[in-house]
Parts: sequence; C-alpha cells; structure tokens
Amino acid sequence: MGEPKIQSPVERAPNAETVLPLSRVRTIMKSSMDTGLITNEVLFLMTKCTELFVRHLAGEAYVDAFPQKNSETLKYEHLSQLVNKSKNLEFLLQIVPEKIRVHEFQEMLRLNRSAGSDDDDSESGSESDE
Amino acid sequence: MVERIEDLNLPNAVIARLIKESLPDSASVSKEARGAIARAASVFAIFVTSSSTALAHKQNHKTITAKDILQTLAELDFESFVPSLTEDLEVYRKMVKDKKESKANKKDTSSSENANASSTAVAEEAIE
Repeated sequence: MGEPKIQSPVERAPNAETVLPLSRVRTIMKSSMDTGLITNEVLFLMTKCTELFVRHLAGEAYVDAFPQKNSETLKYEHLSQLVNKSKNLEFLLQIVPEKIRVHEFQEMLRLNRSAGSDDDDSESGSESDE
Repeated sequence: MVERIEDLNLPNAVIARLIKESLPDSASVSKEARGAIARAASVFAIFVTSSSTALAHKQNHKTITAKDILQTLAELDFESFVPSLTEDLEVYRKMVKDKKESKANKKDTSSSENANASSTAVAEEAIE
C-alpha cells in the first residue's frame, strides 16, 4: 500500500469558517495576562490558528509514528515523542511529558540522591504524577 | 474572567473531528491522546496570545493585531502556518466587507429616492 493519504494541513482551501467555538477561544485568550482588547479579526485568526495546530499536531505525530501505515491508533506516547524531538513544541514539554515507569523513576531518584546528596530539596518528583 | 480551569478546555467533539480529518481514514486516536491534544491546543492558544501581546507592547501598541499574530507564529517556528492563515484572513476580511456593504446598501434604499432625484437633476444639467 502506498503512502498514507494525509492532506497536509497547510494545503486546504482558504475559508472563513471556524469549527472551534469563538467564545471559548476568547476566554482562553483573556486568561493570558495583559491581553487588551480582542478584535473579531484577531479572534478569528487565533481560532483558525488553533484549529491548524490541532491538525498539525495530530497529523505530524501520526506520520512520524507510522510513516507507511494507514490504520493504526494514535496514542499518547506518539505525541510525547513528537513533543520531545520538535523544537517548536518545546512549550508543551510539561503538558505532554514522556511517561516513565515507576521503577525507572525510582532509579532516577536513587541516582539523583547519590549524585547530589548535599542538596536535598529535589523538585524532580513534582511533575511526573500525571 | 476564568472562574474554573475547565473554562479553558476546548470541546472534545470538535477536537475529535479535527484530529480525524488530519489522520488517514482508517486510523484512530486513543482517548488519552485526544485529551493531550486538546490540552496542548489550549496551551498553544495561550502561548501565541501572550507572545503576540508582548510583541504588540514592544511596539507600544495596546491591542494585538492579526499581523502581530502572524509575525509571532513565524518567530515561534510555525511559519508553515502563515501562508494558509493569511489566505483565510483575506477571505474573512472580504466577508466582513461584503456584509458591511450589503448593510449599507439596505440603508441606502430608503434614501435612494433622494439620490435618484439629485442624479436625474445632474443628468438634466449635463444635457443642457
């Protein structure tokens, strides 16, 4: 079977329709401090942009994990792998962290302790419990 | 204002649809992956908003513009988004303009009799 038929998110007919709710995107934008007035045009663009991002993230993660296959399941680890290796997704490292096994984590803790036993205020555990 | 953190979530059904559209027809997505993409999308919107706001402030503007957003995207290494978004924006601007014009036309019809009268007057003058 040839390569998967994935339309690149970038090659779509331009249109002025949005599928994500504008009101929700406005709320999200407002949650960012200091955002002044949000014009309708800016709201439209941000909504479009977020939609494009969803397509991009899903499409890229899939192609990356299954370059030649059409009927696989996109899983969490494919996303975290993509986030881990893509420079422009660095801002998601805390949001989509790579999962590790409990015994691996314990091993990391142990190494950490023996490496720097003098500074015991390790914050290393705080982010891995999701 | 945001009262609950859930207010920042994007609707699952729409996210699911967007994902489906960007995968091959027979592929699927796990619930966990879908949730992660939805969260990532919210964070992306916040990230781009705050970066654009910073850019606007740097130019002493209070309000962010479409241009700020496009420039921010390029700076954040998402320049691949810029061409298609620019096209979408053009379509949007045209739509807004058309709407305004059709509204203006409607308003005009009531006063158009005056306009007609004056234009015939002009025409008559022209004939003389």
